Amino acid sequence: MNQRSVNLAVLTAAGLVLAGCGAGSSSSSEPELKVTGAYMPAPPTGDLAAGFFVVSNSGGADTLTSVTSRLAGDVTLHSTKDGVMEEEKSFAVPADGRLDFETGGNHLMFEKLTHKPEQGEKVSVQLHFAKSGTVTVEMPVKSPTYTPETGH
Amino acid sequence: MRKKTLAAAALLAAAAFTLSACGSGDGGDKPIAVVSAESGSDKAATVLDQPFEKPDLVLTDTHGKKYDLRAQTKGRPTLIYFGYTHCPDVCPLTMNNLAVAKKQVEKDKQLTPAQKESLRIVFVTTDPERDTPSALGAWLKGIDPDVVGLTGDFATVQAGARTVGISIEPPKKEKDGKIVSFHGTQVIAFSPKTDAGYVVYGEDATVDDYTKDLPKIIEGENP
Repeated sequence: MNQRSVNLAVLTAAGLVLAGCGAGSSSSSEPELKVTGAYMPAPPTGDLAAGFFVVSNSGGADTLTSVTSRLAGDVTLHSTKDGVMEEEKSFAVPADGRLDFETGGNHLMFEKLTHKPEQGEKVSVQLHFAKSGTVTVEMPVKSPTYTPETGH
Repeated sequence: MRKKTLAAAALLAAAAFTLSACGSGDGGDKPIAVVSAESGSDKAATVLDQPFEKPDLVLTDTHGKKYDLRAQTKGRPTLIYFGYTHCPDVCPLTMNNLAVAKKQVEKDKQLTPAQKESLRIVFVTTDPERDTPSALGAWLKGIDPDVVGLTGDFATVQAGARTVGISIEPPKKEKDGKIVSFHGTQVIAFSPKTDAGYVVYGEDATVDDYTKDLPKIIEGENP
């Protein structure tokens, strides 16, 4: 029984039968990453832009170590907790979990842009993971007020 | 919507956790924090029992001219936000939400042209070192050139923000070169009737929230 089905069993049975207590074993298995919901809000100027996405992982733990893009000379990773915005060197992708980059929380910051990204454009972004290697995401440039919650 | 799903998942996970009593960390800490952050009403606006006085700020606008906030927004519905242009996420999102809502409200047939014209949106920088009048002007031009952008002495801005319950710190570079910044992300609405700051919005307020509430605020009523 792999870790994923153990978790499902715990959830669905709501712990009725104390599902085996086997957690922790997944750290040795390979991460299985999927990146969804990527977008960049159209920025007010060509100086800097933000980027958001969700990494879902159905395998072992991984780490997002850096991000690059042809659009920007510099892409940095930031977290915001309780109003404090801080640059981070890397982000953990938990085993059988997810890493969210969402407005008000974690975000990518693109600087030294080659041009001002306009709504409708697609920006090619490379997410570099410690174990999974590089995942390329075509990040659509959405309206400046777009959020996944409102969808516009 | 998504947050609620997460919260529900967290509750489920927490329940499973207790029952299965496997003490190994399954990321249980984080979802619990999300649950507690979810408390509060669904309404974007918080009407204050004790309204704030308008901050006594005399700063410099994007044209390099002196701008006396109290004098120049007296008797006008006014929305104030403290932020900075090197903030890629919440600052442009909030300002764009306000700008788009203002455009929607301009089509409102219940309001007179004079009422619509009276609305002031004010952006005060928390990063005056980088946000010169022209930098601020260029940034606001990409959002809504009618927004009043103000810069000036940081201590003055900080003291003004404090009077309306907003804490700000200048973005600063740490020893390892990382930039750390902190600023309260509330939008405060001031009544044209009393000039008092009587409604507060958090950063989750959407275009629709503002579009719905602005006509009330323009008339000095509770949203």
